Amino acid sequence: MAQTENPSRDRILERIRTGLRTAVAVPAMRPESEIFAPISHPLERFQQECVANLMECALTADCAASAQQLSKVLEPLPGGGIFLQDDRSLRRLVELAAPERAIRWSTQGPPAEASQATVTLAEALIAQTGSILVTASCGGRGASVIAPCHIVYATVAQLVPDLATALSHMSQQRSLEHNSFACVISGSSRTADIEKILVQGAHGPRRLVVILQTSTY
Amino acid sequence: MSATAAQRFLQDAAVKSADLVHREIIQRGMDSYDAAHLKGRARIKDWEAARQKCQAIKREAINHLDRYLLQFEEKVISRGGHVFWAANGEEACTYVKNLATRLGVHTIVKSKSMVTEEIHLSPALEKVGIKVWETDFGEYIVQLRDEPPYHIVTPAMHLNRAQIAKLFREKVDPEIDSDDPAYLMAAARRKLRQAFFSAEMGISGANFLVADAGVIAISTNEGNGRLCTSIPRIHVVVTGIEKVIPRLEDLAVLWPVLATSGTGQGITTYSTLIGGPRRPGEVDGPEEFHVVLVDNGRSQLLADAEQREVLHCIRCGACLNICPVFRHIGGHTYGTTYPGPIGSVLTPHLGGIKEFKHLSYASSLCGACSSVCPVKIDLHHHLLQNRRNATEAGATKSSERLMFRAWRHAMLHPWIYALGGWSMRKTLRMIYGLGLAGSILDPMRVWNLHRSPVPLPSESFRARWRKGLGAN
Repeated sequence: MAQTENPSRDRILERIRTGLRTAVAVPAMRPESEIFAPISHPLERFQQECVANLMECALTADCAASAQQLSKVLEPLPGGGIFLQDDRSLRRLVELAAPERAIRWSTQGPPAEASQATVTLAEALIAQTGSILVTASCGGRGASVIAPCHIVYATVAQLVPDLATALSHMSQQRSLEHNSFACVISGSSRTADIEKILVQGAHGPRRLVVILQTSTY
Repeated sequence: MSATAAQRFLQDAAVKSADLVHREIIQRGMDSYDAAHLKGRARIKDWEAARQKCQAIKREAINHLDRYLLQFEEKVISRGGHVFWAANGEEACTYVKNLATRLGVHTIVKSKSMVTEEIHLSPALEKVGIKVWETDFGEYIVQLRDEPPYHIVTPAMHLNRAQIAKLFREKVDPEIDSDDPAYLMAAARRKLRQAFFSAEMGISGANFLVADAGVIAISTNEGNGRLCTSIPRIHVVVTGIEKVIPRLEDLAVLWPVLATSGTGQGITTYSTLIGGPRRPGEVDGPEEFHVVLVDNGRSQLLADAEQREVLHCIRCGACLNICPVFRHIGGHTYGTTYPGPIGSVLTPHLGGIKEFKHLSYASSLCGACSSVCPVKIDLHHHLLQNRRNATEAGATKSSERLMFRAWRHAMLHPWIYALGGWSMRKTLRMIYGLGLAGSILDPMRVWNLHRSPVPLPSESFRARWRKGLGAN
């Protein structure tokens, strides 16, 4: 791909370097101390934060229970198709849940605008903030934002205590070299732009549901 | 002759501070922010340690700005993205305009970005016939009203639900029959969905540019930023050069601190990282990814030993929210892209000290702004420095200079000072006695126009001192 022409690049860099030659006094710092309280019970904390973030988190024992949970979430939704990340574990889950809806897999393209729900995996769950971490590998960018309901199928083993751990794993695994996109999602889409009153479901999902399985089978 | 920025500021401030509806809306908004902010801070074990850490991260980034920007650029280009360096707003606007024209763009969806406001990007694009949709709910509201954002985080906080419902009836759908915020949001969602799915280009800002990972970080709650950067085939990021941070792990503290200071949340709902266009094998995402790095006066601030740290700002809005001046006069009165304390410090650097020096005086120097700043910018001292800089640059009126010269002379010659005090007491007593307080003849007119005169002492401080005040 052609390089972008940058007539001002060198001039800006030169100005920056010239500016930085001016010495600036560094104020005294107190010794570093612990910023966030350590998280001793990640699962409990994750569940608490989910409540605070207005997310739904259903703890399930095994794949069959997860499939049942998925049916329970999908059943009351208005008629229409659903979108799923094409992954073996989700194919198995859908086989068990057998929803009577048109299914579009991520290998068939991005979710349709009218999708009623999207079902994806997550890279990790973060206890500190009650967040799910997704990347482009989790069904793409639109999979977590286009439909009114986003369902995440995850296991307790994916839980990390805090943001620092999640981000350092991402650096170590070079996730952002393999994905053009990643997002830490902490609740459903929302706004408080009118009189600071919270409205759930702005441009993205009104519901974010985590089906959290304690076993890996 | 048109009014100067300072004259407009004074006129608007007088009108706004007497507007009772505005006062009530802002009071309610700020009360709700205060409660959320305090609750949010309590979630962080050591808030002062968090502020210090953020300050250290930003200092490290700004003090090695060239190195981190080049690291970021290299990564983005290696993934097939483009990085354009714009010396000023005009260069940035021309780049985006040419790109849009070359790629056949008719519709653009935009997520919130104060830098695009600063460089007036939307008007530049609309001039060449491109439709630009602001998609943040608050930004959409102020766009419909054809006015700039009122606040850098909550652009429409100066309006109540009834005013917004009326606006929507006039501009969006005449059938709107409720002022319920959820109902109004749903109406905006329906309208903007069409825009998201028809736009060829999405424009976003960036809260951070992560140097080691070569990604941009965007924090949004509504999901509009996600849609702008997922659906259209081109994604353009317009951001300031000072947004860079060294490491991905730095976000572990910056994200919670930004959210806490901005809205009181533990973390913003969507904390997104984007490093380039859609990769081979990915389901969706734009085919083109461009980052426009805007200088527009920022590199000059680096050479200012006292004020370089102004570039540490993460645009959380906390200093606006706590500022007693902002709370009374509101965001639009400032007449600047960035209102409130940070705007009063920054604007003279971007727009000229002569035209914007008055902003440095729109402060009681109470220091509330500095006390809440999550990156510990010493805002109120910078306001004081701007006052000094304006004087040294000769930006003050000759009458003001003359008065201060006279004052200095009097302070160095006690008998002149005593004489001045005596004559002032006599004159003011006469003027007040004649009922002329606040009139054109009153030397204290500026004060007395809006207030009752301060009672005059019967004798001078010296006389009272001689009578034993000192002994007591």
